[in-house]
Amino acid sequence: MAVCVLVLLGTAFLPIVGLQFPWVAVHWMAGVVLAVAVLFHIVSVLARGTWGSMWIGRADLADIVEVAGAALRRTLPTRKPGKYSVAQKLIHHAFTLVVLTTLVTGGFLLLRIDTPWWQRNPYVFGDATWGIVYVLHGIAALMLVTMVMMHVYFALRPEKLKFTRAMILGWITRREFDEHHDKERWQVDR
Amino acid sequence: MELFRVSRDVYGREVLQGMSWDLLWVFIGIGCVMIVAHAAYRMLFAPKQR
Repeated sequence: MAVCVLVLLGTAFLPIVGLQFPWVAVHWMAGVVLAVAVLFHIVSVLARGTWGSMWIGRADLADIVEVAGAALRRTLPTRKPGKYSVAQKLIHHAFTLVVLTTLVTGGFLLLRIDTPWWQRNPYVFGDATWGIVYVLHGIAALMLVTMVMMHVYFALRPEKLKFTRAMILGWITRREFDEHHDKERWQVDR
Repeated sequence: MELFRVSRDVYGREVLQGMSWDLLWVFIGIGCVMIVAHAAYRMLFAPKQR
């Protein structure tokens, strides 16, 4: 998914900043691959029954209050999150909203180009509707630029490298689990 | 700076074309400002992590 998003941003914005190349085919194909990856992710989460691990509940709201208070007092927060911190949940939801917007609007925009499955038909919608589709696709893509910058920055911060490794490889050590997670809120088998 | 790209159809009516791509630099700038602000906060004010 990350590679697809980077390819999509590159093919969308590099021509705009002056690097001209035939970007349309790579762009829509990367978009289709991303849509399949998102679909796989959704089915995988449903199959494993882990839908709730991204849910923001009362405990997360208490975490927000505690983190804000600790920041004002310049102390470290004492509460530990479950599997994901509230910040991680919020960025996940933000990416969900923005990526789904680009995928849905991008799906409509596919109707305007020739693909192996159909010939282009730009008359499916009127000009005004296409304008709204382009605006939504564009604003979501622009938001992705800022969000990807922030995501990469946090992934590369020294204190976050353990999360980056966990994000890529899918595991953390027992010590990291004990130090950074509440075992009551994240009950693991082993 | 324009927020939207617009053109005119054959009847002379304004047609929305999408977001203005000038905004790309605004969104890159917002990202840079947030990164620098967070890095400065962590360096100057935040307590050291365990």
